[in-house]
Amino acid sequence: MSKLKSLIITLLISLMFPINVFADKSDDTFVAAFSRELTQLDYHYGTKTEFLILGDMIDSGLFYVNREDLSYVPDIASDYKIVDDTTIDINLRKNAKFHDGSNVTADDVVYTYNFIVKNEKNRRSKKIKGWMESIEKTGKHSVRFKSKYPYANLFNDLYRIKIRKNGIMGTEGNWNDSAQLNELNGTGPYKVVSFDPGVEVVLVRNDDYYGGPKGMPAIKNVIIRSIPDMGTQQAELMSGGIHWMYNVKKDIGEAMAKTGKADYQLGPSLRVGFLVLDAGGYSGEGNPITKLDVRRAMNHAINRDSIAKNLIGGPAKAVHTACNPVVFGCFQDVKKYEYNPEGAKKLLAKAGYPNGFDLDLWSYRDKEAAQAMAEDLGKVGIKVNLKHGKLSALNKARKNREIRAYFGTWGSTASPDTATISNIHWRDPAKGDRNLSGDPKVNELMLGAEQTLDVEKRKSLYAQGLKLIADQAYWVPLWSYSEGVLSSKSIDFKLDPDGYPRLWNITWK
Amino acid sequence: MLRFIAGRLIVVLSVGLTLSIVTFFLLNYVIDPAQAIAGEDALFEEIEQIREQYGFDRSITIRYFEWFSGIFQGDLGISYYWNKPVISLLIDRAPETITLALMSVSVTILISIPLGILAALNPNSLIDRIALGIAVTAQAVPNFWLGLIMILIFALAIPIFPVSGDKTLFHFVLPSIVLGASSVPAVMRLMRTGLLDVINADFIRTARSSGFYGWRLVFNHALRNALLPVVSVLAVQLGNKFGGSVITESVFAINGLGRLALESILGADIPTVQILVFVFAIIFLFFNLLADILNAYLDPRLRL
Repeated sequence: MSKLKSLIITLLISLMFPINVFADKSDDTFVAAFSRELTQLDYHYGTKTEFLILGDMIDSGLFYVNREDLSYVPDIASDYKIVDDTTIDINLRKNAKFHDGSNVTADDVVYTYNFIVKNEKNRRSKKIKGWMESIEKTGKHSVRFKSKYPYANLFNDLYRIKIRKNGIMGTEGNWNDSAQLNELNGTGPYKVVSFDPGVEVVLVRNDDYYGGPKGMPAIKNVIIRSIPDMGTQQAELMSGGIHWMYNVKKDIGEAMAKTGKADYQLGPSLRVGFLVLDAGGYSGEGNPITKLDVRRAMNHAINRDSIAKNLIGGPAKAVHTACNPVVFGCFQDVKKYEYNPEGAKKLLAKAGYPNGFDLDLWSYRDKEAAQAMAEDLGKVGIKVNLKHGKLSALNKARKNREIRAYFGTWGSTASPDTATISNIHWRDPAKGDRNLSGDPKVNELMLGAEQTLDVEKRKSLYAQGLKLIADQAYWVPLWSYSEGVLSSKSIDFKLDPDGYPRLWNITWK
Repeated sequence: MLRFIAGRLIVVLSVGLTLSIVTFFLLNYVIDPAQAIAGEDALFEEIEQIREQYGFDRSITIRYFEWFSGIFQGDLGISYYWNKPVISLLIDRAPETITLALMSVSVTILISIPLGILAALNPNSLIDRIALGIAVTAQAVPNFWLGLIMILIFALAIPIFPVSGDKTLFHFVLPSIVLGASSVPAVMRLMRTGLLDVINADFIRTARSSGFYGWRLVFNHALRNALLPVVSVLAVQLGNKFGGSVITESVFAINGLGRLALESILGADIPTVQILVFVFAIIFLFFNLLADILNAYLDPRLRL
């Protein structure tokens, strides 16, 4: 009896007390925390940033976004040749391997793209099918893509589609969408050791990794934990339970850095904020915003510099274009509307609104910034009723053409090309609901720039389009955003110019 | 008694059905599930593809009836967010919530019963006031705040407990205290009032005249009678713990049903939210039913 009793007590004690040893430099284990949970491993079935980060760690595409100059560079591809406006030949690295040790060949690439376009359940199917005419194997390590029309944002898609081993997702008509959700045979710099959905994913460096533009990771083991509460993440960081967390607001980050136990970096992000104005009059009769002077007045009324500096913080800056100035094609020599409330009042009076008018302004994030804008607009006579709520409510109202003005933002995560923001915001109103300009010329120029591979021609079209948008004040471009990261003193992490956290480049100090 | 139980069961099922309808229509009205699944910066094509893929473009009524008929065939649906059957999610997550609920009720018992006894034995004294103060404070403090304070003190300043996670029973200590504290006032007050009533009852006077005094009198005679209503309240509190663990599980990163509920709501995972609301409601109603039956058993007047 006493033996049984002591056995039970021993068992209870071992259950009660964890071995409280934190992962760190001594065992070459880096721990990061995400607020949003990783529900599966296959990037093709997730669209959020966290899935892209994990995807870049365990998977690779044909191309990659270079961290220094934000250009697309070959990844599994070794080099490429643009044959004509609709044909591109790609050679593959001969040393690229899947985690199971097999070589990546043209068959795998052809299979992957066919799987994406022929499997309608795949979330990227429609997008890729939109431009891809065909893919064919031209050699053991070479493929040819043919597109339906010249498509400039091609490299972004070639980056986002991760290469799958031939046959691993099933066969046509019998696709297995869940094949790689919980275990993944990828090609990235890390391999999955274990995955507990919503809790953590444990990775180990892939010593057979081909290197490529991501480089060979310096840290051997990585654990990504899902910790929903930011306060808990901070406590874990202070206690040594994690080394890295992101999406940290300026005030919190600075307060944490003052403790001396963590570094805080506030870097640029590709996200930009803007007001979309119903210049086309989609929301019905009697809309003052259809008048150019009113839209220009709104551009002059908002103190972008002050809001960017005081409410957004960090490297956030006022922008004057309908894109982030750091991305390709974001031509900056456009009409700029400086903060000028008196000028705004005069423009309103000229447009026939000397006493201003009432306006419902919709927003879904950064409520303080939205309130500040409402206040600025109020100072020139535009009495704003701020309708701040869920993004889905805004989307619904926009779809029903009930919106005259809304405060939108766009992240363009790891997509350093104006095409990413312009494609969705300036497309033909029959194919989307965000282009409220009512001006077919904007659509022609901004989407026209996507339909040629000629870099100079693209730049010229974007320049014309962005000038037109600014001249006609179809938007009130607001500011770029910033990305805040808290990291342990033991690691060396630098925020890249696009704010996209490349965890595989972290090193120990 | 059987008729009483049958009547209560009908009420439980009616509430469950009403809840499922209200939840389904509210969720679909308030959020755009396609947008929520795709994320903030998803492309138009991706959102529309999700809308078609999951059938969100069909009417809400049709989708509700499909879901409802599935339930009767034992199909709880597939989670959009986790790409898994909802039933397997429930099975995976339930042990953490059950552990947390049982441990937090234990915390409630350990704090509230002694406090209630002390307060009853010393009515209107300093001890009574301190006990009442503790109870009121525990009720007034929000769970998330108490959770963070506990982490600051017992995981950072005095690093005894882990900050978050659920790998060992040790990880459940702080969250159990946080979750258990909120039930302390109700149980403690009931204990105090019940014991005060019993102490003044005739049979206690008789026991006293037979030579029973002090703690012996309290434990052997008074407490047994005073505890009966407390047990039924504890049953209700246990039901509360299952459904009330959303914030606590999120603060302490415990991978239980409460956190699943929050993740599913934020991810617009309608099949999972539907089932969770239903399950939480049924658990809550079940424990209420248990309390009703217990009370009816003890007091036959309630069966009428």
